[in-house]
Amino acid sequence: MTYVINRLLSVILTLFLITLVTFAVTNILPGDVAMMIMGTQSNPAALAGLRESLGLNDPLLVQYAHWVTGLLTGDWGNSLIFKKPIVELLIQKAVASGIIVAMSMTIALVLAVPLGVWAAVHRDRWQDTVSSSASLLGVSLPDFFWGIVMILVFARALGWFPSSGFVEPSQDLWGTLQHAFLPSLALGLGLMAHLTRMTRSTMTGILSQEFIRVARAKGLAERTVIWRYALANAIGPVITIAGLQIGYLFGSIIVMETLFGYTGMGWLTYQALLNRDLPLIQDTVFLIAAVVMLTNLAVDLLYVLIDPRIRLG
Amino acid sequence: MKRRDFLRNSTAILGSGFIGASLPTALWAEDAPVKGGTLIWGHSETTQNLDMHQTGTASSGRVLQNIHSSIVTVDKDLKVIPGLAESFEVAADGLTYTFKMRANVKFHNGAVMTSADVKYSFERCKDPATGAVNFEVFNNVASIETPDDLTVVIKMSAVNAPFLSRLAENGAGVVMPKDSGPTQGTNPMGAGPFKFVSYEVGTVVKMARHDDYWEGPAFLDAVEAREITEPTTRLTGLRTGELHMINDIPLDRVKELQGDATLQVKTWFPLNFDFINLNHTFEPFQKPEVRIAFDMIIDKEALMQGALWGQGATTASPSFPTSASYNHDLKQRPQDIEGAKKMLAAAGYPEGSLNIVFKATTNYPYHVEAAQILVEWFKAAGVNLTIEQLTWADWLSQCWVNKDFQMTMINFFTLWEPDFLYYSVWNSTGAFNFRAIKDKVIDDLTTKARITVDDAARADIYKQVQQQIWEQSHDIVLWFRNGTIGAQPKVMGLDTVVHPNGSNLNFHKVWLAA
Amino acid sequence: MKRFKTTKGLIGIVVLLAIALVAIVGPMVIPPDAATAMDMHARRAPPSLAHVFGTDQLGRDLMYRVILGARTSLEIAVSAVVMSIVFGLPLGLISGYFGGFVDNVLMRLVDTLLAFPALLLALTISAVLGPNVQNTIIAIGIAFTPFLARIIRGEALKVTQMPYVEAARASGTTDGMIMVRHVLPNIRPALIVQGTISLAFAILAEAGLSFLGLGTQPPAASWGLMIQASRDQLDIAPWTAVVPGLAVALTVLGLNMLGDVLRDILDPRSK
Repeated sequence: MTYVINRLLSVILTLFLITLVTFAVTNILPGDVAMMIMGTQSNPAALAGLRESLGLNDPLLVQYAHWVTGLLTGDWGNSLIFKKPIVELLIQKAVASGIIVAMSMTIALVLAVPLGVWAAVHRDRWQDTVSSSASLLGVSLPDFFWGIVMILVFARALGWFPSSGFVEPSQDLWGTLQHAFLPSLALGLGLMAHLTRMTRSTMTGILSQEFIRVARAKGLAERTVIWRYALANAIGPVITIAGLQIGYLFGSIIVMETLFGYTGMGWLTYQALLNRDLPLIQDTVFLIAAVVMLTNLAVDLLYVLIDPRIRLG
Repeated sequence: MKRRDFLRNSTAILGSGFIGASLPTALWAEDAPVKGGTLIWGHSETTQNLDMHQTGTASSGRVLQNIHSSIVTVDKDLKVIPGLAESFEVAADGLTYTFKMRANVKFHNGAVMTSADVKYSFERCKDPATGAVNFEVFNNVASIETPDDLTVVIKMSAVNAPFLSRLAENGAGVVMPKDSGPTQGTNPMGAGPFKFVSYEVGTVVKMARHDDYWEGPAFLDAVEAREITEPTTRLTGLRTGELHMINDIPLDRVKELQGDATLQVKTWFPLNFDFINLNHTFEPFQKPEVRIAFDMIIDKEALMQGALWGQGATTASPSFPTSASYNHDLKQRPQDIEGAKKMLAAAGYPEGSLNIVFKATTNYPYHVEAAQILVEWFKAAGVNLTIEQLTWADWLSQCWVNKDFQMTMINFFTLWEPDFLYYSVWNSTGAFNFRAIKDKVIDDLTTKARITVDDAARADIYKQVQQQIWEQSHDIVLWFRNGTIGAQPKVMGLDTVVHPNGSNLNFHKVWLAA
Repeated sequence: MKRFKTTKGLIGIVVLLAIALVAIVGPMVIPPDAATAMDMHARRAPPSLAHVFGTDQLGRDLMYRVILGARTSLEIAVSAVVMSIVFGLPLGLISGYFGGFVDNVLMRLVDTLLAFPALLLALTISAVLGPNVQNTIIAIGIAFTPFLARIIRGEALKVTQMPYVEAARASGTTDGMIMVRHVLPNIRPALIVQGTISLAFAILAEAGLSFLGLGTQPPAASWGLMIQASRDQLDIAPWTAVVPGLAVALTVLGLNMLGDVLRDILDPRSK
């Protein structure tokens, strides 16, 4: 229990560090949102007026204190480019991204686990090479390549799925899932590579262990040995790695969400950054950081649960 | 006439605003418009702020144009014509503007427009606290009076000849219902042909027909502007039939779509003009010979074919081609690499001695393509050009605001108003003079034009400005780029969509065939 | 089985040597300017005798560009991964070995970096330091460091619990010695797996950064830049993505084959 409390405290400490770093970095970035709003219409007089009306002229320390107290009190401020309360934007976009994160993770696991098991069972034979080559081919071309291939095949040629867009789940859940499927599939293929390799190496380790030999000696069917006994023991570490990939996923969804016009957190972060919408950058970065860190925390706790050899402390 | 012929014969292009439409003309010419339907438009950009006053980007304006109406507007020759005002009058001294407003114009909330709404809108735009992009349009406005419900009298503190045409621009001249300011950002409201319905950030803007629109109700029941920024995805959406219409067909794909009999393609020009900029504080560019030599290194037609895939027309005058101030006598310098080499050597820069950084923004991919083509020609002329790619924010802050560049390239949309163009861009005190150009001849001419009320005399002054820009090669003016729309065959009235300023899209007269 | 492994390793070595040879010798052998010369009459030409791998949107020969790009891409990937190892390995090793307070402090730093979006980092580096190859390496290197540190830490933590480490401790061997002698060799397999995968990711990361303007500046060539440029023309000129994509794939497969074999050779547990 002390371990859990310690880890929680450290998450809070890290989040505080994140606010400091994010605030510093966003303020180093040259240019500001007033300039982005005006674009090539901007001139010194107009910029000064707009900056004043956007409240960009406050001293940095005041801005930082304002932001952090806002985070704590639930007042996350307003987006300067979209002119909307940030909380409202974050809720809407987090739901959208949550759907594709969950969907792509499921797809990746469903594909990677059997492929990894297959490779491990046939270790060092052609099946192994095929499995690792196939999974590596997935990461040899960037996410957007697979995204565009999905659009061309499943939307344009076959017409099975919509080519782009996002539908509110509250309006039409089936529509939401249809729109989410192609970006999730493309993301899932990218995630798969790592997971396949992880499954393979964990399974190889387990298959050489004593209890498997015992199970085989007892005359259990090979299928039962592999899927019931070995995999049950391998799935923990695989899920652990899957959890760690959440951070990586938040990087990839930026491209995928833009490509599919499926506007979630990644897209929002990207827009905030490109437009130098500092309050929105800071809040999105903070939220993503919090999610990534809580996932990592969960993963660490899982590690401890699975592997009792690791002592708490 | 084929497109190639258009390019050779530049006067033919300049005669009319629109070119190169490959439309099955017979389709709509005879059919009577049908009411009803929702137009699904694949919009190329993200709508940001819904407040028309606070919106500087062409993208949001493109949508909001359908929600608002302006006090005045322009015809296809860019002459100011009545809008919400049925007539207007400028006093001989140029200090008083009197607008007679139309009676019974209804806003989306059902209220009838009065002069008080006009006063409110203009004062809101003028107030720096609003953060309006066009607030300086009202700089010389001393007072706005409303003697009766339908009369607006604007008194100026100094003559500002371009005032009226600036009112015809995005944002500055729109009339909003009195006291609607605080909600314009969330629920934009005006007197335009479509009412705002809903907006999901980054996804879609929905609008519905305003039945009481003062020019008569639109045909369409509704317009859905779906935001699809990725070009390939947008094209796919059009091809699968998910979208009725898209704007901004990537330039390299226009020919391919024109060859597709199942789609309509509309190209028009100009969407914008592009020019190459030389920083006048950078030592070599202080010498006119160096700037002229740089101009001579560039084959503008080949560069246009290369970077725009032929979707544009080269020009030596940056004036809007349909406007009175376009200088038809100016011709671009032909490419002469050997001559340029000699000029550079004479100016003290022999082969291999000039190393120039060209900053290109990734916001306009064709700028990066153009830069790559330039590198090859400059190499042949003994100038070492290296490219630095910048995001839009970095380009704005480095080049536009901090003037930290040697050579770059940029474009302007809808700068059809000549004072706005020449004074802002080339006057030494101009707000957009990011190259730090100081030319007394241009300064005097642009200042004089501002207080010249006679239109013909003003146009003539601007022609002299262009001559001077070209002689001194202050910038290298390249071309006008085409705007593009692709649509399903059932979308009718496409040629009414584009505003004469080349940028705004209006769906008032668009209809969907059954 | 033994023979299979050796063959696999051999193939891996041959493939990698061939790629390295192309990267080093290629740019010296191909005609100067061949990779930047444009032909406006052969834009996006499909593979043919004149252009074996086809041409890109500016009519540049993709074979020459893929050869010229090899050097830049490998330079970026190798430097960035080496950088992430130089910083991440000691960080993870010390953290995992000592545990407790040290671990807590270091891992909070790593977590901060890990949770910090790579995109924001890249944009800042590009805007403040300027877009070029060197800064691209820095951006990728920094972004990869926390991942590596975390994986190394996990491995080090596991190894540190092993009886032989405890035995070494009991016998009074210094911490530094234990880390180098006992811990490091045991995390080498994980390091190799992570390293080879990171190389692939680094080559592709450059593609992502090119989209933001960071990365190799045109008209120079790199695989990442080429892949990025293919984005808008994939449906009409797929070869513009497939050619550099296959180059990356070949490199990754070669690395992986070699990596598998190396891992088995170096793994002390398999002896």
